[in-house]
Amino acid sequence: MNDTTPLPLEVRGLGKAFRGRPRVDDVTFSVRPGRITGLLGPNGAGKTTTIRLLLGLVGADAGDALVFGVPYRRLERPAQQIGVVLDAGGLHPSRTGRQHLAIAAARAGVSGDRIEAVLAEVGMSRDADRRAGSYSLGMRQRIAIAAALLGEPRLLVLDEPSNGLDPAGMHWLRQKLRGFAAAGGTVLISSHLLSDIQEIADDVVVVTDGRVVAETTMDAVLADPSGTLEGYYLEVTGTEGMVR
Amino acid sequence: MVRAEVLGLVTTTATKVAALVAVLGLVLAQLVFVMVLPALTSGEIGPGAEALGDDLPQIDLASPAAQLDALSPLGSSLGGGSIGLALIAVVLLGVLAGTSDDRYGGIVGAVLASPRRSRIVLGKAAAVGAGGVVLGLVLAVVSLLTLAASLALTQTPFAAGAGSVAATSARGVLAVACLAVLGLAVGILCRSQLAGVLVMMGVLVAEPVAAALAGLVAGPAASTVTQFLPVALAQAVIHGGTGAVGGGVAIAALLALTGAVLAAAAVALSRRDV
Repeated sequence: MNDTTPLPLEVRGLGKAFRGRPRVDDVTFSVRPGRITGLLGPNGAGKTTTIRLLLGLVGADAGDALVFGVPYRRLERPAQQIGVVLDAGGLHPSRTGRQHLAIAAARAGVSGDRIEAVLAEVGMSRDADRRAGSYSLGMRQRIAIAAALLGEPRLLVLDEPSNGLDPAGMHWLRQKLRGFAAAGGTVLISSHLLSDIQEIADDVVVVTDGRVVAETTMDAVLADPSGTLEGYYLEVTGTEGMVR
Repeated sequence: MVRAEVLGLVTTTATKVAALVAVLGLVLAQLVFVMVLPALTSGEIGPGAEALGDDLPQIDLASPAAQLDALSPLGSSLGGGSIGLALIAVVLLGVLAGTSDDRYGGIVGAVLASPRRSRIVLGKAAAVGAGGVVLGLVLAVVSLLTLAASLALTQTPFAAGAGSVAATSARGVLAVACLAVLGLAVGILCRSQLAGVLVMMGVLVAEPVAAALAGLVAGPAASTVTQFLPVALAQAVIHGGTGAVGGGVAIAALLALTGAVLAAAAVALSRRDV
């Protein structure tokens, strides 16, 4: 890779206020290729808003968010470049998992042949013809992950992807993301499960009150006197006293 | 995008329920128009035409005009702008198609796959329009079959020409498709399913009231203006024009109205946070 190759994700001075109250304020960070970056922060810190801003779902008041060098809205066939998991996938309860993926494939311009492959990959082949209304949160999450993988993207943006997953599912997800990064893929993952993030992430971005308070590598985090991501997180977010 | 939206439409229970209600509503309306009213007029049932007086609409099913009126896919309007169950179901089919993505979060996936959001609206309009055409064809066939059955039972000859029947049915299909797309646009504008349903029902209920009031207050000039409201336009399209509004003008006006509301929906979706 040379210096002119755009980064998978680059966020510069991003700002957004709701009803005059800043939710994301001058957020700047980047996600390097082939690495897993954990986006961490307390509840209401602005993680999800940041993700929605960089995906163009929410209009920014200030700053830029670039995906492979361009704003998300200017990406051609975005689903084949970036896979996204938000809010357990937005499944309609009267549709089956397979129907949901068929619609997602048609929207993404992806062959229907991919549906069986991703269903098998997330372990949902057996339940694919059940209505989503009967799914557990973990099953909905697996379908959401399957939809994100349909276009065989180079970048995954995942907001709390392990929500509702059972231990086997969480183990599978960790292995999947490590394998994805090892094959050259890039991941931005938001999660409260610090042990999971410590296990899989290469880089960490921590936000509090809508601002980035730390952007570093996992190696640097583990070299910190606290020695764990949890200790580092509590220190930089100023929430250490809240758990005593 | 169109294929995805068609898949979305046909895999939603609400679509099937709305279509079924439209067909059942039409069957009920047609049974009243082509069987009950003629029987009341002839005195086969009820106290007879003389006793009922002005309460009984005068329908001569032997006339070509009455037979063509009975072919409306939205149910006969009895010469006015009445709102039937079929019409309500058709517009609600559109409203539900326009709001279900917002209700269940599917709009996020649609916007992520197609960041140029006006394409999503166009895709949805094409899918709902196609669904409206299919539903319109089914309703047209139902109208024709109920009329034919009634004529056969009463040994009344089919007086309407084949060309007129085909034209009325084709215009009816166009009206159904436009009304469904109009409902879709209102649904996208409202986002909330409840708000969309209430707004659309409000528009349908308010139209005849507004038309009647306008006629009383401002006279015939106002009546001409109110013929450009959605239900009156749809009926004018189906019947090849009514009053001062000719058939071609009615078609152009209904298409323009649908296009304008759809454009507003596209602008709204492009500007809003999802």
